[in-house]
Amino acid sequence: MSTLKLAQLSKRFGENPILRSVSLEIRSGECLVVFGPSGCGKTTLLRLIAGILESDGGDVLIGGESVAGHGPQSRGVAMAFQNFALYPHLSAFENIASPLRARGIDAQTIAAKVHEVAQLLRIDAVLEHLPRQLSNGQKQRTSLARSLVHAPAVLLLDDPLRNVDAKVRYEMRLELPRVFRRFGTTVIYVTQDYKEAMALGDRVGVLLDGCFRQIDVPARVYREPVDTRVANLFGDPPINLVPARPQPRDGALRTDLAGHDIALPDTVWGVAGRECLMGIRAEDIALYTEARPGAIALQLEAVMPFNVRNVMLLRCADGTELLASTPDDHVLRGARGQQRVWAEIDWRHTLMFDRQSGARLAA
Amino acid sequence: MASLTLDHVSKRYAAGKRGISEPLAVNDVNLAIRDGEIVGLLGSSGCGKTSTLRMIAGFEDITTGTIRIGERVINGLKAAERNVAMAFEGYALYPPLTVGENVAFGLLRHKVPRDETRKRVARIGQLLDIENLMDLYPPLLSGGQQQRVSLARALVRDADLYLLDEPMSQLEPQLRAKLRARIKEHLIERSMTSVFVTHDQTEAVALADRIAVMSDGVLQQFGSPDDLKERPANLFVAGFIGEPPMNIFDATLDIGDGAPRLRVSGTDADDLFSLALPASARWAGFAAAQKLKLGLRPHRIRVGDASAGSLTQGVQATVVSNHWLGDQSHLGLALGDAFVIVVTDRDIDAPRDARIAVHVPLEAVHVFNAASGLALFHGTGG
Repeated sequence: MSTLKLAQLSKRFGENPILRSVSLEIRSGECLVVFGPSGCGKTTLLRLIAGILESDGGDVLIGGESVAGHGPQSRGVAMAFQNFALYPHLSAFENIASPLRARGIDAQTIAAKVHEVAQLLRIDAVLEHLPRQLSNGQKQRTSLARSLVHAPAVLLLDDPLRNVDAKVRYEMRLELPRVFRRFGTTVIYVTQDYKEAMALGDRVGVLLDGCFRQIDVPARVYREPVDTRVANLFGDPPINLVPARPQPRDGALRTDLAGHDIALPDTVWGVAGRECLMGIRAEDIALYTEARPGAIALQLEAVMPFNVRNVMLLRCADGTELLASTPDDHVLRGARGQQRVWAEIDWRHTLMFDRQSGARLAA
Repeated sequence: MASLTLDHVSKRYAAGKRGISEPLAVNDVNLAIRDGEIVGLLGSSGCGKTSTLRMIAGFEDITTGTIRIGERVINGLKAAERNVAMAFEGYALYPPLTVGENVAFGLLRHKVPRDETRKRVARIGQLLDIENLMDLYPPLLSGGQQQRVSLARALVRDADLYLLDEPMSQLEPQLRAKLRARIKEHLIERSMTSVFVTHDQTEAVALADRIAVMSDGVLQQFGSPDDLKERPANLFVAGFIGEPPMNIFDATLDIGDGAPRLRVSGTDADDLFSLALPASARWAGFAAAQKLKLGLRPHRIRVGDASAGSLTQGVQATVVSNHWLGDQSHLGLALGDAFVIVVTDRDIDAPRDARIAVHVPLEAVHVFNAASGLALFHGTGG
């Protein structure tokens, strides 16, 4: 219901610059995920936006107006946390109703609004329970319901699914977008889990070393990461980064992959003669138990079932290690390693990075 | 290297001040672990997995039962006499020694020649990415680095058995996939019999040849990751293993005129859908009103185009969300009042609010007794 603008926000703790001139514009009703490893400044950023912490520079604008000097409530900002922060002596109903009671709204309207949001979050059956009688998943839904019930302009969520068990985490990851859309609230959602970022974000902002390295729709952060650090963080198993020095020869751009001569596809990256890192995602390596033309011979060292896929550790003749991931029913699924396999790489998705700077080289 | 056998092993911690007896922390556990096998002890905190590991190590007394390494009963032996290498959370690195000296310590103590020691320390250093830490002292290391050094110290040794307590809990997420793979390769290549403890089923499934799932001190099932996923012994194991978790529904069996149907209901007891099951003598044992649970694994449910071999005909669901995660799609479907998670490695064209056909092949079906939780039928056979 409001746009949110961060203008050159900075914050330091003593000598430590935590956030350096962070700027970002979030559209009304958008869910923006702030993604980054632990210690990157995500929580500090949320606190600045909420008004719990004062910045050392820059401004926060909600609906086009600066909110400097205002606390969370007068900013129209609601927050939900990892530790749920429910009032232990109030029922789920009363917890959710509390922001409305604080505004002096009449009992009938309160009941209607609480039931509406509780139904949306599928906790209407446990509204009379106290927090200690609720599971972690129900507590988190209650916490979210409370932050949504008064339709805040901006909702800040700090890794809310961290302490919730796997089953509920999955369900909520799939349900939350619908919940946010129903309220039309502008949401900032913090997480370290790239899958959560891809599932929930209209856009993802990758926060590293106190500033946004990339802000884009999740699919582009995955397919077109701005540098090796972003590429590495966004994907599991992490992207393979293999040194390469492509040279034009016989009418094509050729490079050596662990002793095999490879012709790279036609895209011109300005990489000829340059020291690069080739980025190959695990799922773009197909494995076979027999030789085929153009396939690279490798040693399979270990097989690790990983949710609905298998992760394979491969070793090239020159010692280079690669991680490949294959579908659940792949023929090598039960293998214990120590055997020869043949790999075909889907070069359409290969990324090229400058070896020195880590920056991605694009056409 | 040797086999490890636990025979009716139980552990009861000493009664507290009021003399009220403690429940069994480990309750009659039997495990026959083969020479060279990698075994994971998996469960939530308090399930008895760590107590079991500590009894194998010699840090806890065994209340009843026997533990053997090979043919040797080790019950009475002190930890240092068991020829067991360990990487335990509380088993700190020696602060006055450098990382290199810490890793070499066990080898030098067992009189391994210096040359050989140097080579092995260098190799394990490469494996665990700690080569550039060798001259540093432990207090300067991060949690993740300390854990890798602790692992190196254990894995570099020649022992009959290797015991690892939550071996990768502190590891930097970016290193986890590669290090896990290298450790698995190292253990397999050298036939190192190993037992590790974890609460993370992803880790257990990635590393172990077989996993012992524990709950409340009781062994729930001991099998390969595949066994646990395809033929879970009970609802607990079915729900614990696999991510995303199994979809669970209430169900009853309708044995009409020889054509058995599993009727699946939502929270308001209305039928959501029914599955036509293959005729079999096994259904005769099911009472008509017996409360059952149906488990469907997210990656075995098929959606979209007509699918041969589906036990559901014409069941439609509404797409709540469809997320492509780079190498797999996660779909959230609303089926009546139930929420069903489906995973596929294809990028499925199914926009929000669209209606989509849901197909359940026989191999997706797992039926449990709702009261006891015990598995009654696995569509995968067995």
